[in-house]
Amino acid sequence: MKKTLSVFCVLIVALATFGCAKKAEPVAAPVAVEPYKVAFIYIGVPGDLGWTHEHDVGRLQIEAAFGDKVKTAYMENVPEGPDATRVIRQYAQDGYDMIIATSFGYMDPMVEVAAEFPKVKFIHCSGYKTSDNMSTYFGRIYQARYLAGIVAGKMTKTNIIGYPGAFPIPEVVRGINAFTLGARSVNPKVQVRVVWTNTWYDPVKEREAAVALLDAGADIITQHQDTVEPQKAAQERGMLSIGYDSDMRKFVGDTVLTSPVWNWGPYYVDTVRKGMDGTWKSEQYWEGLSADVVRLADFSPLVPQDVRDQVSVVKQKIVGGTWDVFTGPIKDNTGKLRVNEGAKMSDGELLSLDWLVEGVVGKVQ
Amino acid sequence: MEDTANEVPLVEMRGICKSFPGVRASDEVDLRLERGEVLALLGENGAGKSTLMNILSGLYRQDSGDVFIRGEKVDIRSPRDAADLGIGMVHQNFMLIDTMTVAENVVLGMPSLPFVPDMAVVKRSILELGERYNMTVDPDAYIWQLSVGEQQRVEILKQLYRNAEILVLDEPTAVLTPQESHELNDVVKRMQAEGKSAVFITHKMDEVMAFADRVMVLRKGRVVAEKTTRDTDPKDLARVMVGREVLFHIEKGPFEPGAVVLELKDVCADDERGLPALRELSLSLRAGEILGIAGVAGNGQRELSEVITGLRPVKSGGISINCVDSTNKTPLQIIRSGVSHIPSDRMAVGAVGDMSVANNLAMKDYRAAPISKGIMLLPRRILEFARKMISAFNIATPSPETRVKFLSGGNIQKTILAREIESCGSLLIAVYPSRGLDIGATESVRNELVAQRDAGKAVLLVSEDIDEILSVADTVAVMYDGRAVGVMPTAGADPEEIGLLMAGIDPSEKETRL
Amino acid sequence: MTLAFEKRKTVSRTAIVVVPVVSFVASLVLTGALLMIFGANPLATYAAMFKGAFGSGRALTETLVKAIPLSLTGLGVALAFRLKFWNIGAEGQLTLAGVAATGVALFWSPWLPAPLLLPVMVLVGCAAGAAWAGVPALLKTRLNVDETLVTLMLNYVAILFSEFLYYGPWRDPKGFGFPGTRMFPKEAWFPRIAGRAHVGLYLALVAAAVLWFVLNRTRWGFELKVIGNSPKAARYQGISVERNILLAVLLSGAICGLAGVGEVAGISRRLQQGLSLGYGFTAIIVAWMAQLNPLAIPFVAVLMGGLLVGGDQVQMVMGLPSSIGLLMQGMILFPMLAGSLFTEYRIKRVGGQAVRESETGAV
Repeated sequence: MKKTLSVFCVLIVALATFGCAKKAEPVAAPVAVEPYKVAFIYIGVPGDLGWTHEHDVGRLQIEAAFGDKVKTAYMENVPEGPDATRVIRQYAQDGYDMIIATSFGYMDPMVEVAAEFPKVKFIHCSGYKTSDNMSTYFGRIYQARYLAGIVAGKMTKTNIIGYPGAFPIPEVVRGINAFTLGARSVNPKVQVRVVWTNTWYDPVKEREAAVALLDAGADIITQHQDTVEPQKAAQERGMLSIGYDSDMRKFVGDTVLTSPVWNWGPYYVDTVRKGMDGTWKSEQYWEGLSADVVRLADFSPLVPQDVRDQVSVVKQKIVGGTWDVFTGPIKDNTGKLRVNEGAKMSDGELLSLDWLVEGVVGKVQ
Repeated sequence: MEDTANEVPLVEMRGICKSFPGVRASDEVDLRLERGEVLALLGENGAGKSTLMNILSGLYRQDSGDVFIRGEKVDIRSPRDAADLGIGMVHQNFMLIDTMTVAENVVLGMPSLPFVPDMAVVKRSILELGERYNMTVDPDAYIWQLSVGEQQRVEILKQLYRNAEILVLDEPTAVLTPQESHELNDVVKRMQAEGKSAVFITHKMDEVMAFADRVMVLRKGRVVAEKTTRDTDPKDLARVMVGREVLFHIEKGPFEPGAVVLELKDVCADDERGLPALRELSLSLRAGEILGIAGVAGNGQRELSEVITGLRPVKSGGISINCVDSTNKTPLQIIRSGVSHIPSDRMAVGAVGDMSVANNLAMKDYRAAPISKGIMLLPRRILEFARKMISAFNIATPSPETRVKFLSGGNIQKTILAREIESCGSLLIAVYPSRGLDIGATESVRNELVAQRDAGKAVLLVSEDIDEILSVADTVAVMYDGRAVGVMPTAGADPEEIGLLMAGIDPSEKETRL
Repeated sequence: MTLAFEKRKTVSRTAIVVVPVVSFVASLVLTGALLMIFGANPLATYAAMFKGAFGSGRALTETLVKAIPLSLTGLGVALAFRLKFWNIGAEGQLTLAGVAATGVALFWSPWLPAPLLLPVMVLVGCAAGAAWAGVPALLKTRLNVDETLVTLMLNYVAILFSEFLYYGPWRDPKGFGFPGTRMFPKEAWFPRIAGRAHVGLYLALVAAAVLWFVLNRTRWGFELKVIGNSPKAARYQGISVERNILLAVLLSGAICGLAGVGEVAGISRRLQQGLSLGYGFTAIIVAWMAQLNPLAIPFVAVLMGGLLVGGDQVQMVMGLPSSIGLLMQGMILFPMLAGSLFTEYRIKRVGGQAVRESETGAV
């Protein structure tokens, strides 16, 4: 893995002492008759769009890629925390070869079960703990957020953008910061106003937050939860928006200028293939636009060509690896210089990000 | 009302019978009510007055007998049927919703009410009705803002608004001040002038005289007298009401009173509504004596028993038991000082219906050996104890484990009596101990009380039954309006004189006070 | 001619046995019909559910993991309900106790001797549960404030307070900002018996036995019984109604609190999301199904835990959406609860109007 971090190393050591981390037993050559069994743990329901939907799209791509040779299953609406342990264990016990858990709160339960079933492969999304038979994976959605920020920065008239966010945790903060940096790179007058909803999925709360932001003068709404309500609220006021998770333009209309979206299929297919042919190894996977695990969805016709061009130039820089979003100078929203000119934030810093960049109106608390 | 005699009566009830478990509440009762007439139903508590009126207003159904309204036989299945026939009842406990306005309460539950009633119209008619009957109430006031008297007016207005022709008032003056009673009388007279009729239930003679054209006296579910008020007087009514029954044969030892056990000095206490219930009451009771407290219910008897047993706070004055001050001590302290209590409400207070006979019997003695040991309760000992008591007091129960509420009234009372007598130290307070019991049970209760007295205990017996007091008690005191108005030995006491004292009439004046 | 319920004179012994069996069968039939609508084979589903809940050692321990908090909160709730004190705040009492135990585990562990850590966590947790129940109890006994609303609202206060802590001041500094406290030190872990089933199981069984003994074999239990049936009669017998209600509700909160300590010390070993999962509310169903009998509560809790755990199978094996699993759980319970009515009442035909209970005083 390219971006192995010192933080992760420390954690792995900590993990080795945690529970009864056993040495992986020699992997027996798989008997070809049995299909390779993969189970997914979902925080929500697959539905038509959103976080869980995108994972389920990935699951279906596994089925499409391997046909009869795999069998997939999933459990939806699994609460985070201790109850997830039971579900994960149940799949492990039922003979599943690989279990993929798609929310942060499944991390500790998965660590616990992974220690008990050394032959089963555990894949956890968005966490930071690994072991011999447990990987973690995530996508650098912040890169797509930065690009979306450019679109918003170019197109706002009031220079106020509303951003209902779920929780003040690094994942969300990273997205807000990247978005704000993108917007201000083309329009230094932009203010991004954040309202914490304290929920990942609540149509009513998300809408309320969006309405409050629109009342405060926002003319573009983006968000980090899981429903299209903020986007719809903006549309009803004749305002624009930017989606998240899925291409929300398909559900709301052209007022959704674009959406940073997930594309898990390639990663899932690759991981399952490695599991099947015995080349799977525990890793920390954190890739972005270049690996196509995150994308910026197609533009709405409302987005002018010059904006599209500008986005495409920046995208090339990111994909080419010559530049990344969190490159200094970056000030926080109290005016303190956090990243020096030319310096790049490390992944360790990004994973524990707990301050907001200049231009964000809000607090991490 | 002379000219109504050959008309069809407005209401006629014929041969009404109604029983409740263990009680014949109404026994072949006939009742007539003419148009424009006010009829009083007079009787002690439990005489069957309310039962009869509850049948008329559709709350109960008679076991047998017929009801005719305006000459037609009717079947009143519910209060709504009664309302359709023009019968409206004002209950002792008002059926009003505190958090709603007068106008809302008045129209509440009317079947013909539109989904969104025009409250302005309702308010206007309430004001008109109020003016017509001289009982103004603000239609926008909330019920909780009104005095009890005003609430009663709302209840009456509610019935008038529904065009009730027959108004049934269940002890309407029990909650009223004399001034309010006077106003109520005025309202009833105005209604009468319009040709409406009223039945009112009471146990106060002076009200009968003031309100009614005619009076029916009930005792133990039967009609014992029917008179026009012009042909009677309170003295006469008092005699009829308390009646003279066949005296039970009570074996009683000689009266040899000992030391004073209970002493009350100038005790004052309030009732639930905060109105004075006891007014500087003084009494004393000696060992080996039964003091009978006579009086019409509601004159402070229940409160008297409660202040002695610590269930009701004493506002002023003092109580001592065996020369030890017991004023405002806790119920447990008073129980421990040797006081037993047979309460008036045997189902709600005296016994726990859903618990077994055995548990009910043990409910006082559970605190000590042999039933308990330290903090532990010994169920086998409870059963042993219960079996002993059941046979000693002849309690008829399928088993000690039967729930008490499935016993007859008499056996429930025997259960309470057994427990209280067993745990009695020096003072036994018995409130209406034989109320609602059949003859056999009544006799055994009375004999037990006498046995306690003969064993040297002091017994305070509260009763409405003068015969019971005269045959059981050694001394009688009459309670009227929170005071003990006459204390005399029962030997040679004149029941008629006691009846007058109960009616609030000083026999020496021989005059009615209203 | 209408039908009315009439209270049985004695609780029929046959009814106690027959009614739950019949209602259980009725549940299965009803739910089976539902499953068939969704195209699933009911028998196969039931078999899968049973296997998922009780079919293997691991399954059984997972069922027990649920049964532990369910029986503890069930016991707490049952105690309060026996006094007609409607404590629907078990969820909050559990949560606050979990918070308190977490505080001990995180902040007292450096100086508290290791063997004392767990006992202190249990004591402090129970005290917190008791205190949380004590608020509505005091309001009820002193000011006659309705306890139903107060206990219900305090649930949310406790839950939000715990969220505040693990999102805010107690958040694991090494947790990359994710909500949740740091892991407890090992001395603050409840020993596990098998799988994830921890010693809370023994505590629950002991609590059930002790509560039964207190209620049925002690003077205090007798007094509580009298109060629960008739506070007026209790007062007349010299029993202090207010004081005893207060004491019993404190005990109720403490038992619910024990469940919270078990969850943080035995299962999650930290304070984080998903501490309770509604155990405090399910406890109400457990308590009623057990007819408030402490000895029956652990058994009902195991059944209930089995239903929750086996419900996963509806998704896993039968491939039905999770909402069907929840719907099934509701449908299985409904006839069971309705059935309990028939042990106390029977249906009687009455002519004409509804029969009204006569009050003795009104005769």
